[in-house]
Amino acid sequence: MIDNEHVVDDLAAFALGSLELAEHERVAAHVGTCAECGSRLAEYRALVGTLPLALAPVAPPADLWESIRSAARRAPSRPPVWKRLAVGGGAFRVTRWLAAAAVAASIVTWNARLQTELTRYAQGPQVEKLARRPARLVILKGAAQPQASARIFAAVDGQSGHMAISGLPSLPATRVYQLWFLPKAAPALTAATFTVDDDGRAWVVIRVPTDLDETRSLIVTEESVPGSAAPTGPPLLEAHEWR
Amino acid sequence: MNVEPVADLELLRRVRLGDESALEALYARYGGLLYTLALRIVGDRELAREVVQDTFLRSWNGHETYDAQRGRVPWWLMAIARNRAIDLLRSRSHQQRLRERAGPVPEMPPVISDDPADAVAARRAVLHALRALSDGQRMAIELAYYAGLTQTEIAHELHEPLGTIKSRTREAIEKLRPLLAPLIQSMGGPRA
Repeated sequence: MIDNEHVVDDLAAFALGSLELAEHERVAAHVGTCAECGSRLAEYRALVGTLPLALAPVAPPADLWESIRSAARRAPSRPPVWKRLAVGGGAFRVTRWLAAAAVAASIVTWNARLQTELTRYAQGPQVEKLARRPARLVILKGAAQPQASARIFAAVDGQSGHMAISGLPSLPATRVYQLWFLPKAAPALTAATFTVDDDGRAWVVIRVPTDLDETRSLIVTEESVPGSAAPTGPPLLEAHEWR
Repeated sequence: MNVEPVADLELLRRVRLGDESALEALYARYGGLLYTLALRIVGDRELAREVVQDTFLRSWNGHETYDAQRGRVPWWLMAIARNRAIDLLRSRSHQQRLRERAGPVPEMPPVISDDPADAVAARRAVLHALRALSDGQRMAIELAYYAGLTQTEIAHELHEPLGTIKSRTREAIEKLRPLLAPLIQSMGGPRA
């Protein structure tokens, strides 16, 4: 029997991904240890999974598979860690497990450090997701806007990321901020355009247009809507090194 | 739906070993469904395309790992696609999202005509179940699932107390349970 100690009242919203972060974590912690609520959640998730079946089917673009295949060839599949480690034997295998343990420890440390950084910004599903899977972190500091800063979290696929911004002034409707990658030997590449809220903050999904290791700087400029083909304004934020 | 769960798992296993033909088979099986879902959420064909591509790449490069506890493979893929689409949606401001939802419905490509009979039957079953909900219950579900709003945001949007929204959401799911149980069981899901 499900009683008040359980989280049944919130399971429906949990299955829909509609709880605030604190509630989400509370429910997730409970269902991880309660078979009864876990079973009910499995039912709800299956139910939620049927909702898209009500949508009128729309044919995907004819060339979408080709795009996926091309991207997949650029990012080879990685077998599970246990398969990669199960090569060789004896002391060699032990050494590889020790190496894996060291890598895991470094990831935990990195996660903890990044989580500390992330808590300076509004919590949300993006933060939670990125905190679990960090790849590269770029900190942009104010140039023409000393009070402003931004952090870019580049996803492990090297193609996308998120940027948290604070301290930039709000813009009129005809103006927009634009993030640029400045390659070492090529013209500037745009990564995102964005505006900020009344508090000067924003959370933006970005494209990573080129390899960070082949980039000399990242800058943010102010441009006319809908954005420029090349930077026209002075750098408001900039970064010249990252990890 | 005539989908063999074992075949899906086998395809996923081969995908994880780098078998491109297995990835193509998964796309052929679920690409349309994921695109439909992504387009419904983001309302933009290019963004929907990006969501579907990212979903399959995440299963390909191991950034997302299948967890049988999260349900069958298509539900897992839909959860990835939905999360990616909601992330994109949430990257825009809340007010912008509200303005967009109040605006005209984005132009949609034609509905595909070779809809398999089982998919048509499943669609009818879900539509029938959703019609059993009150307008308020259906709106609470749709704002949560397709717009990615939290319960608090839905309450604010509908000018209703938070407790009312939570009750509607819970009641809606409970009302759908018996109505969708036969469909879910036919798809190999947990028994309600």
